[in-house]
Amino acid sequence: MAYSEKVIDHYNNPRNVGSFQKDAGDVGTGVVGAPECGDVMKLQIKVENDTIVDAKFKTFGCGSAIASSSLATEWLKGKSLEDAQKIKNTDIVHELNLPPVKIHCSVLAEDAIKAALGDYQKKAGEKKVKPAAATTSS
Amino acid sequence: MVYLPMPEASEAEIMDHRHQATTTSRELPMARSMCWHCQSEVTGEYLCGQCVKVQPLSKDLDYFACFQLPRLLNIDEQELEKTFYELSRTFHPDFYSTKDESEKAISLGNSAFLNAAYRTLQDPIQRAEYLIRLEAGAVKDIRSNPPADLFEEVLDLQENLETFRQLAPNGASSDLEALREKLQDKRERLEKRQAKMEESLQSKFKEWDQLQERTLLPGEAREEKNTVLRGMQEILSNRTYVRNMVNDLLETTG
Repeated sequence: MAYSEKVIDHYNNPRNVGSFQKDAGDVGTGVVGAPECGDVMKLQIKVENDTIVDAKFKTFGCGSAIASSSLATEWLKGKSLEDAQKIKNTDIVHELNLPPVKIHCSVLAEDAIKAALGDYQKKAGEKKVKPAAATTSS
Repeated sequence: MVYLPMPEASEAEIMDHRHQATTTSRELPMARSMCWHCQSEVTGEYLCGQCVKVQPLSKDLDYFACFQLPRLLNIDEQELEKTFYELSRTFHPDFYSTKDESEKAISLGNSAFLNAAYRTLQDPIQRAEYLIRLEAGAVKDIRSNPPADLFEEVLDLQENLETFRQLAPNGASSDLEALREKLQDKRERLEKRQAKMEESLQSKFKEWDQLQERTLLPGEAREEKNTVLRGMQEILSNRTYVRNMVNDLLETTG
């Protein structure tokens, strides 16, 4: 099986590799894994005024998983939270020409986006309820 | 879930086959009840009784049924191998090289299926994964979500491995040795965990087999079976992450 040129490009020059301070209030973190292959993906967003100003990822897995998350961070930057929610794994499959056996990599990326958005929204919600909160409640 | 063309009798029939001597002729469900060539009735032989043409295997055939095995997880691997060779001799394309194109194609298709079935069933882990996929129709949402701290553990280890890879080319240093020791220790602990997981998988396999042996129909004791399958799936997917970590450690630190 040959990877598409776009996958190879993202694999060789991954965009936005790295991480943000996980505890920061303006950061949302999503960590997801694919039980079939054991790939793990961490995707983080930095939000200002409901807009994603920066995104970073770290993925340990195959080329398609790395390319999917690299592409996802590119797409996320500059998007509103609402628009970010609309990114579908099929968009990633399309853009990267992923073969059927690698579709789960794009699913992983979508899951990671959703998880990061969810994490940010949870944090933002808690901030609104308890503005001075330093307590740990679960 | 169809083992044989008659679903109601399937499980019972298969259970029955298991206890029969292997000398009985093996009958596999065929893709059709009529010979594709001479249109006479085909009742389950691989070859048409009238015109002796090879018959395609049924699309509904699963790997267990292909080997005349009940859906159990502890299987007699020698018996599996024996059946594989026996069926291979029937289907191998080499025996059809002088036949017409349709027969060549059918024998090739049957052989490919048989090879895939053997490869899957031969390995206990793949066998279990396959069984879960087969039974998943009956189990909603069998996909498990590994605990978040397992992911954190993977990410944490990967950071350490990255540091190791950066330090290694600079030659020996106390930092490198300390890290190597730490990672080797980590690997030992992970290997122990993997062994433990495999032990608990083994006991789940037993649990499953016992359930299967005391029920005749696939629908019986469904809830209990689903619980065992979910438990298996959970261990299997967690095991994948642990195994990957062990492999990455081996690759990096040697």
